[in-house]
Amino acid sequence: METAHSLTAYLMSKANRLGEQMNDVVSRIVIVGGGSAGWLTAAVIAAEHVNSDLGIQVTLIESPDINSIGVGEGTWPSMRATLAKIGLSETEFFRECDASFKQGSKFKGWLNGSDADAYYHPFTLPDKYREINLAKYWLKYRDKVSFADAVCVQSHLCERGLAPKQITAPEYSFAANYGYHLDAGKFSALLHKHCVEILGVKYISDSVTCINAAENGDIASLSLQVGGVISGDLFIDCSGFASILLGGYYKIPFISKKHILFNDRALAIQTPYPDPNSPISSQTTSIAQEAGWIWDIGLPSRRGVGHVFSSAHIGDDDAEITLRKYIEQDVGKKIAEELPVRKIKINPGHREIFWHKNCVAVGMAAGFIEPLEASALVLIELSAAMISEQLPATRQIMDLSAKRFNEKFHYRWGKIIDFLKLHYVLTQRQEKYWRDNCESKTLPEGLRELLELWRYRTPWYYDELQIDEMFPSASFQYVLYGMQFSPDVIPPREKVKATEVMRAEELFSENFQLTQRLLTVLPTNRDLIEKIKKHGLQKI
Amino acid sequence: MNNYVLLNNVEHKNLKVIGDFAPKYGDNVMSTITFPQEFRTIQGTYPIFFSKDRETGRFFASAILGLREGENLFLTEKGWDANYIPVTIKRNPFVIGFQRVQEDGMLKKNMVVNIDISSPRISEAEGESVFLPHGGNSPYLESVVSILDYISVGDRTSAEFIDSLLQYDLLEPFSIEIELKNGDKNQLVGFYTINEEKLVALTSDILGDLHAKGYLLYIYMVLASLSNVEALIQRIEMR
Repeated sequence: METAHSLTAYLMSKANRLGEQMNDVVSRIVIVGGGSAGWLTAAVIAAEHVNSDLGIQVTLIESPDINSIGVGEGTWPSMRATLAKIGLSETEFFRECDASFKQGSKFKGWLNGSDADAYYHPFTLPDKYREINLAKYWLKYRDKVSFADAVCVQSHLCERGLAPKQITAPEYSFAANYGYHLDAGKFSALLHKHCVEILGVKYISDSVTCINAAENGDIASLSLQVGGVISGDLFIDCSGFASILLGGYYKIPFISKKHILFNDRALAIQTPYPDPNSPISSQTTSIAQEAGWIWDIGLPSRRGVGHVFSSAHIGDDDAEITLRKYIEQDVGKKIAEELPVRKIKINPGHREIFWHKNCVAVGMAAGFIEPLEASALVLIELSAAMISEQLPATRQIMDLSAKRFNEKFHYRWGKIIDFLKLHYVLTQRQEKYWRDNCESKTLPEGLRELLELWRYRTPWYYDELQIDEMFPSASFQYVLYGMQFSPDVIPPREKVKATEVMRAEELFSENFQLTQRLLTVLPTNRDLIEKIKKHGLQKI
Repeated sequence: MNNYVLLNNVEHKNLKVIGDFAPKYGDNVMSTITFPQEFRTIQGTYPIFFSKDRETGRFFASAILGLREGENLFLTEKGWDANYIPVTIKRNPFVIGFQRVQEDGMLKKNMVVNIDISSPRISEAEGESVFLPHGGNSPYLESVVSILDYISVGDRTSAEFIDSLLQYDLLEPFSIEIELKNGDKNQLVGFYTINEEKLVALTSDILGDLHAKGYLLYIYMVLASLSNVEALIQRIEMR
């Protein structure tokens, strides 16, 4: 009996310990807020974990009273991988989201505002980027051909409104790298449907009325207006500017970046095409203005046009006049004056940390910056991917996950801000807004260092400090040379090698030939999108 | 350029069609469309591959006649060197057309016969008469109409068959590298075939579904047809 008794005791204590550990397992993930941030995060986590044997449940709570703001109609090419990973068909995506192909950005008027002042930041890297730094060998041709035109096909395709692939190319594959322009509201609706119907995400339409603390300072549960109490192990704050968990509840300070990037207002107007068959632009066009810039994005059914500006340099009324004048060029004065405008306040910056206790913020709840390089959606994808891949198994390990997440995203925000600022600092424009932007006290330290280095050598991948940099050094090349940046001297260490000169000439000529070929075989953006809607893209 | 018009016994009453096969009649094509009902006879002679329509990206099945663009290895000085000629070759220069007609207040699509009047097969001197002297259909035209009917039904079956193949992930891209004895190399790309690994891994439910629709037979016909690639290479070597 003695033996049996102690065995029972042993089994009981083991069960207790297991019980403790079970309580500690992170399995109930609660997302607060719908919109692109909430649904994309839910989809990424659910696609990876819900059907595993770990019993992970993703719940999304969306307040019925709040309309999602739908900023960020441009994505990066990373969205292709994200959509494929969550199991969404690209055909369905095109049919449901009023989506079009985006192959990069075109910046007009950023150098001096002259008619000829324009450059591309395409999604394609310069040819054989890891093998040879073509920038060095392009410099001597700089008066004859733009950098982007010399080293890749994409600026040529964009200039002609061509699609990045043919109808015979399978879903998500391409002839030229691409992301999307999309209707953010429709995108959220599609993700919502996909999450609930396919990925097993639980949806609750209700408002959070109270945040209930656990003893250790974690969030234990959320009280809802009608639906009772929802407990969770990890809470993801996707509540937008309100940031109700990270900012509102935990009072994590907000770090303003307005002293570096001045733009704090946006006006957006949905603009009709002059004709239903008008070409759909293959890139986001950003046109510099007196105290900000105008974005112009082509969707199949309409354009999304907006003016981002600094309220310290121009008033709302003047900014609106500027925007309507721009729209007037295509649709005429009458329509331009009647179209409704939406005003958006931007508080440029981010939270001091993004993951605190058992709460992590994604999307605008974490921070927001002007959409100059469409960084909003990609940050959501990257955040969701890291949360999903590093999903802490237990509460004990979560603090380490949080630390790593905070370090990673602190670095990324810094890099985004450096890169956006780079677009401004090489300007020759004389308006006060642009001169103020060039004041050295507004330059982040990291960017100042890079600019100093690049006076003596061309940027290349040594400038990438992390393996998963958001902006590869090629992006810096496109902007620098687009803005006519010229190194002070060609120092002896960057002396050109004869074999490399030959290789570079070969690649310039290959790029020219590939361009000529693609120009003859690729359809226009509108043609291909119509075909996708009609016939669909094949999966293979 | 093709120039299709509606066939009629007034304008085309004296029309004849040359039934010989030669490059001058546009027969030097490397592939021609086929469809499941024809697979059984096609697979005795020709490889069956799938490829994508350039305009729509949709898959269709082809009988392979040559290994290079514009090469038909079955064309010889004596004509078409095979027992069976694919019906989408035999139908030339006729195609199916559709005419919208109002019938009992409903818009209907009627099948009609169109002819490519720019085809070099068309003659008034030699070949098969299309119409009888008094305007009735000639036996030749009747045979063409039944071929066109066969193709029309085949196209629909093909689309449904291929949808099932895609649904069960049974197609995969493949390329063929051909090296001739004289050292010439050639690569065929843009073709798809049955993924045998996926096929053998299918559950009995899915196999039952494919079998009930008659698709399992078609799938094995396609697989069997692949051995004809070797015969095509031999035809090149013999030239």
